[in-house]
Amino acid sequence: MTDSLILGLSSGSACLATCGMVMFPYLMADSANVKRIAVDLSLFLITRLIIYAIMATLAWHFGQAVFKSPVVRNIVPGLLYIIFAVMLVWYSISKSRNPSCPAKMVKTVSNKRLVPIVLGLTNSLGFCPALFIILTKGSTERTLVQSYLAFLGFFVGSSLWFLPLPLAGRIRKKEVIKNIGILATGLAGVIFLIKGLTNIIGGIING
Amino acid sequence: MKKTKIIAGIFWAFLGLIVFIILFPGLNNFSVSVSKLPFMKINPRYTGGEKAYHLVAEKCTLDIRRPVFNGFLKESNSGFVQIDWRGDLPALINDSIDYNGDGEKDFFIQINRKNLKTDLKSFNPKVKDVVISTPTSYGWAVRVGLLKE
Amino acid sequence: MDNILKTTGMKKSLGKSLLYTLPMFLITFMFLTGGKPNFSDTASGIALLTVFILVNVLFFFMHFTGKTDKYRAVLFIVFALSLSYTLINNMLEVRKAMYFSQADILECKIPFCHLVIPMMILPAAFTKSIIFPGSIIGGFANISSMVVLWLVATLVLGRGFCSWGCFYGGWDDGFSRIRKRPVIKKINELWKWMPYAVLIMVILSAALTLMPTYCSWICPFKAVTEFEQVTSVESATKAGIFLSLFGGLVIVLPVMTKKRTQCSFLCPLGAINSLSNKITPFTVKIDKSACNECFKCVGVCPLYALSKEDIRSGKVSIFCSKCGKCMDACPQNAIHYGIKGVPSGTLKNFSRNLFLFVSYLFMAVFSAGSIINTFHGLLKFIF
Ligand code: SF4
Ligand code: SF4
Repeated sequence: MTDSLILGLSSGSACLATCGMVMFPYLMADSANVKRIAVDLSLFLITRLIIYAIMATLAWHFGQAVFKSPVVRNIVPGLLYIIFAVMLVWYSISKSRNPSCPAKMVKTVSNKRLVPIVLGLTNSLGFCPALFIILTKGSTERTLVQSYLAFLGFFVGSSLWFLPLPLAGRIRKKEVIKNIGILATGLAGVIFLIKGLTNIIGGIING
Repeated sequence: MKKTKIIAGIFWAFLGLIVFIILFPGLNNFSVSVSKLPFMKINPRYTGGEKAYHLVAEKCTLDIRRPVFNGFLKESNSGFVQIDWRGDLPALINDSIDYNGDGEKDFFIQINRKNLKTDLKSFNPKVKDVVISTPTSYGWAVRVGLLKE
Repeated sequence: MDNILKTTGMKKSLGKSLLYTLPMFLITFMFLTGGKPNFSDTASGIALLTVFILVNVLFFFMHFTGKTDKYRAVLFIVFALSLSYTLINNMLEVRKAMYFSQADILECKIPFCHLVIPMMILPAAFTKSIIFPGSIIGGFANISSMVVLWLVATLVLGRGFCSWGCFYGGWDDGFSRIRKRPVIKKINELWKWMPYAVLIMVILSAALTLMPTYCSWICPFKAVTEFEQVTSVESATKAGIFLSLFGGLVIVLPVMTKKRTQCSFLCPLGAINSLSNKITPFTVKIDKSACNECFKCVGVCPLYALSKEDIRSGKVSIFCSKCGKCMDACPQNAIHYGIKGVPSGTLKNFSRNLFLFVSYLFMAVFSAGSIINTFHGLLKFIF
């Protein structure tokens, strides 16, 4: 759970940097009412949690069905870790980083009450390299509970960044926070890169 | 206001100067005071935990420490128990250990000090594996991995 | 003429320079000898005397020539080299190897270094314990005295610690001075924030694993101090990381960029020290009325702490380590040491004298032990 929490925490900041600014005006739309903000934020987070729980279940069953031999169990996820970790590192150092977020589609939703739910859906299904890493992790866990825990760590880590969203307007150094977040995401990528490599080496040695 | 700021700044700078002048001669005293702060003790994950049982054999002694499961916010599910042998140790150490004091042996450990080989036979599902087995300045130490549940 | 007067603004006459050196002379004499120099062992006596003279001559030249960084760097680099020598020598004497063994970890005998401090904070608050296998008090590099030294130095000097107190900084500072001109001139500004990202990652990972993760996995200076014995794939990976980071960030990049890249792009303690710049009494100020925007200072700053915008806005960034290199390069004497609250362009000499005394005293006394020890070792080796 530790590494998924770290991954969530680091990638959450980048996620906020790209998606947060799209979501913010919608979540905060025409009210400064704390209760309304709290309700909307909770709906948003609960939607994400449910989606992650579903993904944890699917990923684990997929892993059980596909990664049968211990060698495959180490080497295939190891390779996946490396690929997604490289994507994550690339994302953090690439100059042409794409700041778009699937949450933009929320503009097409007319019912205001549905906005936080749609945002939760698009945010958690906006497949980014970090989510792919967690999916890989969930698919290789020994038990379903461990897969849930991995997703829970990721959820908690990334959600922490959304909690101060109501204050976003008042945070002055957004650019700095965004930069640090992006670099932290890259570092999380490096951690998983090493994890992937050790998985493969371990798989080869034990295989 | 400007004047107050200037005076405060210069005062702060001189305070820095004084602190630096007394820092080195007073370092020992300051360090002793800091060492008495409540959090200034090494985490049991490093010290190996407190001694729980002390057994005396003919030429050597055996200390079984309290199991360590320390985690950040709550205890972690996996930890270890450390065992220390002191004194004049035989070339081949053989011991059966009851680490939780329930009267049942939890594992048997054999250490060959010549080829540094350590074997563990577990009688308790919570006992996992040998984490560390190493000669020390006082004899030999072993950490055996444990599960809490 | 006017220009010459300005460029030599911090220079002092011989008599004045001697006068300013006198307090340093007396205090270092007291601190280094305890008031009673011991010459019973010739090698120790010579080592002590050499270091005492070196320290004071360098300080004298800071006043006499008006240059700061040029002389600071000498002691700073010698400090880094001699500390590595002392640590390695200590390892070899005590353990007969440059690595520490599992027994050393188990017996909590690992020397403590200030880079662990950021990782200690959360576990100390939540578990009321220190997550490092060292000694709390007593013995070589114990935790309590290192914490006191770092805390006081950081409160007074801020990131100045990184140019006047850190015993690692001298490594990349030294390598950054090898070439005359940089090969790589421009680096993306984004990287300046990397130490904060590293800081967040190591604080979190250390808290969650109760392990000083930076020391176990990242610290490039393990390459010149001590590291874990290579016994497994994991420990080999770690050794590989230490060596490549040392090679890349402490040797190759500093040589190519003429910047202290390890300190600028990796060190998490540097990030904390930068934040503490906000509260320290001493700062670096830009006298806008004197500055002609030649941007020489921007080019030489080894820590990417100055940009053209900073100069135009008259404010030095939080990354500044008060090394004085920009001041040495400034032809107008416009960038200068200052004191918080005192307007820029005023009390330049007073602020510099006070800052130099405080920071140099710290470096001199902090470094003296290991430099003497190294000299002593060298003398014994030669004769
Ligand atoms: S940045 Fe780190 S290594 Fe560099 S001088 Fe500062 S504390 Fe030392
Ligand atoms: S701004 Fe000047 S004093 Fe500060 S780090 Fe750069 S060169 Fe050194």
